[in-house]
Amino acid sequence: MNMSDQSLTENGLSSQTPAFLTPGPDQPVKVRVKNLRFTYQNGHEALKGINLDLRDKSVTAFIGPSGCGKSTLLRVLNRMYDLYPGQNVSGEVMLDGRNILSRTEDLNRLRATVGMVFQKPTPFPMSIYENVAFGIRLYERLSKAEMNVRVEAALREAAIWDEVKDKLHQSGLGLSGGQQQRLCIARAVAVKPEVLLLDEPASALDPISTAKIEDLIGTLAQDYCIAIVTHNMHQAARTSQYTAFMYLGELVEFDETAKIFLSPRHQRTNDYVTGRFG
Amino acid sequence: MTTTDVRPSDVEAAERPNRAKAQDRLFLGVTRASAALVVLVLLGILVSLVIDALPAFGNFGLAFLWNERWSPAKDIFGAAAPIYGTLVTSVIAMVIGVPVSFGIAIFLTELCPPMLRRPIGIAIELLAGIPSIIYGLWGFFVLAPFMQTTVQPALIATLGHVPGLSLLFSGAPYGIGLLTAGIVLAIMVLPFITSITRDVFNTVPVMLRESAYGLGMTTWEVTRHIVIPYTRRALVGGVMLGLGRALGETMAVTFVIGNSHRIAASLLSPATTISASIANEFSEATSGLYTSSLVALGLILFVITFTVLALAKWMLGRVETH
Repeated sequence: MNMSDQSLTENGLSSQTPAFLTPGPDQPVKVRVKNLRFTYQNGHEALKGINLDLRDKSVTAFIGPSGCGKSTLLRVLNRMYDLYPGQNVSGEVMLDGRNILSRTEDLNRLRATVGMVFQKPTPFPMSIYENVAFGIRLYERLSKAEMNVRVEAALREAAIWDEVKDKLHQSGLGLSGGQQQRLCIARAVAVKPEVLLLDEPASALDPISTAKIEDLIGTLAQDYCIAIVTHNMHQAARTSQYTAFMYLGELVEFDETAKIFLSPRHQRTNDYVTGRFG
Repeated sequence: MTTTDVRPSDVEAAERPNRAKAQDRLFLGVTRASAALVVLVLLGILVSLVIDALPAFGNFGLAFLWNERWSPAKDIFGAAAPIYGTLVTSVIAMVIGVPVSFGIAIFLTELCPPMLRRPIGIAIELLAGIPSIIYGLWGFFVLAPFMQTTVQPALIATLGHVPGLSLLFSGAPYGIGLLTAGIVLAIMVLPFITSITRDVFNTVPVMLRESAYGLGMTTWEVTRHIVIPYTRRALVGGVMLGLGRALGETMAVTFVIGNSHRIAASLLSPATTISASIANEFSEATSGLYTSSLVALGLILFVITFTVLALAKWMLGRVETH
């Protein structure tokens, strides 16, 4: 827990009254998870029948103690688990009404539609420009001018354009951690995804970079369906419209963020968001 | 405490530090000597090579390096043919061995079902463990006849008519020669390059790999654009390590190279390498100049492989500290 979490640990969120984000009116369901079960190769059941809806143009935060299955859930949504043998999944994940767990699903297309950003920045070993252009080139044939426009748009969307516009052709590895992470977000949005999965995107960053990432999440939520896994309660409270609290592979409580933090129905949720356990 | 109270344990306690110190000093001395021995042996070999090679260089000058003529009867010696053979067979070995090694390593790290990973890994290690004399025997009795009856006639009939390539694949199919030696060498360096390449590929962070797949890249795209660029330096280092082995390999090459001190453009023609020349001729070297010329060949090989291996270590080391 970092310093800023102290107001949470003592008496919930009542010591200050943060303005919770309210869900937009009637955003359609983008991703519907139905009775999802997931077992790792060693037999550990990481998800035990999850049901929930991710709404479009909203941020859904996943919170819960380590090992509760929230990262696993994210890795089901873009079928990253497919890279590793012996992992078993059952249930349904409907993306716009299409079951992405089906055997016939085109994984490369799916992963372009469902972008992911990881705990640590992972710039590719190429220039800043190429980091963004590379993904676009996988799916579209663009002229050089069109590509320039797209790359700039993606970098602007990730709020990093001003910092890198003069060194687009230098290596992405030379940027600071926070810049690298925003570059990774630019790379993800450049291929025009519909869903963005953020797996603790700020956990390796300093507070200022974290704040920038959080601002960015707010902006991106106007266009994308976003799922974010975080260990930082404040971050969940600040950035999301919906919050899902998971514990030992089960979805304990899922509701609007304000309700989860101010009037949770379950004692365990209350204990977790106030810092009494976890 | 008075002297009458002294107990045996006190005496020991007082003496122990000295004894332990002496022991420790001896221990340090022995280990330091062992380490020094390595450097001494290396320098010793280098110095004795230089001393014994001096007569050859004194007699023929630096022209020894590019003179092709090797005539023991007239006491005239030049190193060009063995140097040429060494370089060409090694290059053939790399051209064949490197792509195959990369293929195996990519299969093992990116595609292989875990059940097969260990058996294939063990097979590669066993390949590395086969004594080179066995490769030589196999090359001479199995590969060379096959080359002579099947592969080389086919090459002559096809590539032998392609402008530009015709020089490389002309002449009679002897079976033995540069190409056959290169193929045997390729098989021999395969396990080394493969295992280094595999280890290097495994240094790519899981998260980087996943973020590439997460963008929708195929395995080929991830390998080509992420894994290989990320590990480029170490890969070059691994290839150089294999090259170092190929340059110095003696027994297997001696069997299949043909041992002819000639430089011919055709890859099918018999030739010789530095180490094959030495192994073949040291027992016949009657004159002092002959012996000295062979030692001079050894010195040249020493310098070449030392340079290549040093470069390889440097490149691999740069990656580890990265």
